[in-house]
Amino acid sequence: MSSSTPMAADNFDDADDTITEVLSQEVIAGVACPQSFWRRLIANRNAALTLVGIALFIFFSVAAPVTFLTTLNLYNMIRNIALVGIVAVGMTYVMVAGEIDLSIGSVFGFLIVVLGVLVVKYEVNIWLAALFTIFLGGVVGLVNGLLRTKLGIPSFIVTLAGLTAYRSAALVVSGQLPWNGDGVGLFYEITGGTIFGMPWLIVWMVVVMLIGGIVLAQTKFGYHIYATGGSLEAARNAGVNTDRVKVACFIITSALCGLVAMLLFGYLKTAAPITGTGFELRVIGAVIVGGVILTGGRGTIYGVFVGAMIIGMITSGLVLLGLSQHFGDIATGLLIVFIGTMDLLVRRAAARSLSHGEG
Amino acid sequence: MATETTTSSAFVQGRSLSKSFGHVRALQDVDIDINEGEILAICGDNGAGKSTLTKILSGVHQPDKGELHVQGQAVRISDPHRARELGIATVFQNLALVDVRDVASNLFLGREPVRWRFFVDRRKMLADAQKVISDLRVNIPSLTVEAGQLSGGQRQSIAIGRATSQNGRIIIMDEPTAALGVKESRKVLDLILRLKADGNGVVVISHNMRHVFSVADRILVLRRGRLVGVKHKGETTPDEIVKMIVGVDIL
Repeated sequence: MSSSTPMAADNFDDADDTITEVLSQEVIAGVACPQSFWRRLIANRNAALTLVGIALFIFFSVAAPVTFLTTLNLYNMIRNIALVGIVAVGMTYVMVAGEIDLSIGSVFGFLIVVLGVLVVKYEVNIWLAALFTIFLGGVVGLVNGLLRTKLGIPSFIVTLAGLTAYRSAALVVSGQLPWNGDGVGLFYEITGGTIFGMPWLIVWMVVVMLIGGIVLAQTKFGYHIYATGGSLEAARNAGVNTDRVKVACFIITSALCGLVAMLLFGYLKTAAPITGTGFELRVIGAVIVGGVILTGGRGTIYGVFVGAMIIGMITSGLVLLGLSQHFGDIATGLLIVFIGTMDLLVRRAAARSLSHGEG
Repeated sequence: MATETTTSSAFVQGRSLSKSFGHVRALQDVDIDINEGEILAICGDNGAGKSTLTKILSGVHQPDKGELHVQGQAVRISDPHRARELGIATVFQNLALVDVRDVASNLFLGREPVRWRFFVDRRKMLADAQKVISDLRVNIPSLTVEAGQLSGGQRQSIAIGRATSQNGRIIIMDEPTAALGVKESRKVLDLILRLKADGNGVVVISHNMRHVFSVADRILVLRRGRLVGVKHKGETTPDEIVKMIVGVDIL
């Protein structure tokens, strides 16, 4: 900038413009390039998380060489990841919108039992029963959403109530018994079966995550989810119907519980009332590890996909290392705390470096 | 269509506007004219009715009594959406932007350009945002930087840009410089003057007499919900306005 100096005395306006320009350049430099290490880390959180995922994969492959890298284990692992990942798409919507849904595990159990009873006891056509299950999931989400938005009850309370209520409903509907399907036909093939030697569940997860990711990142609805969670008042002032956005997020999440109920029934060919116990922890864990913040407004489906992979690898990897399954849950809990703390510290450091740079 | 016998050509005319909340009479028989190409400052102490008056104009509140005319037509401004249709846009103080979203998304929040019905047309959004920003002649480092990383003045500019770009011919601003430093305030005041030069009408609520006198053409003073008077800037002094605000008898 110092090179462009010549200023005629009769050219004050130009000089003024030049000064303004220089000043504005400084402003630009100050804001657009706050390339502190912390800021870059936030911007590349997904890349960093991916590296963590790859490192974990290598670690378990080396630490449990005979068991981890077998087709059987990888498929089992990916089946669990798929169930978590599919519902995590809905949970991402809910949490980006600034809410939470603790009821998903119980809703999952309730819906799989409804499906099992319909198919086995009442001999309803399995396709119809599956569609109805997903629809019923949507109704559950609608109720959650309306209680949240119309009555103003915090979603934590609403869905905590759902957590206990739907589990009991599952026990009542099932008569505390598992309901076993015959496992014959196309339905079981495209849910629990394999395609080109690969579990169909992977296909379902990829499809749901792709659609879910595109909707969140690129549609008007997705923009409004971010705005609702980012600043409720600003979104409202701009004419976004934030209540409708939230209700839609709850509906999608519970409907996806219906979808995984259908998929798991197709795979196990049985509906047990305890299905999905602790499922909410793994899903919320995947979402938080994936970079969605509890206060809303931030997060991507890709991050949550990696988050689900990491949680899945830890859960099954520790078992293969000879530890009890409970260690998986302990590790998951520790991981959530660790990642949550890291996110907080990095954000603080970034905020400090920003205010430092400006002041 | 002109069934009204309008004596002035004001873009917005409010007559005998009154509004009560419970038994608090927030506004009583206030008249207001807002012209295009003019800056009208509204002054008054806390509780004088400034916010109530602007909220009636922006469709947030409905008056209990009184008439509103926009471009000579009697209207009812049922909500902010209707106000925008009529050409009245409001810049909400501190509650206008979503910090975690980028500049372009904020400029088009709630009215994102779409293709195939559901998908946000990101390219068009960026192009339109570029146009809004250059029309305003404000310095925004990038359209894709998060609003939360910008300075107070830049944020205010974006909020104002959103108001002007949605057919706002009258822009209402509640304390646009309240949270800003000296340099930033100057930039926003310059922007307000440019809006006027472009033919927009601007309504500014402000406590800051220096700011009021540096931009306003007319100054409307409220006290306890009543209209004290409207003065042209040239025929009054900050002293007189302050006296009108606090209710000291100046005779």
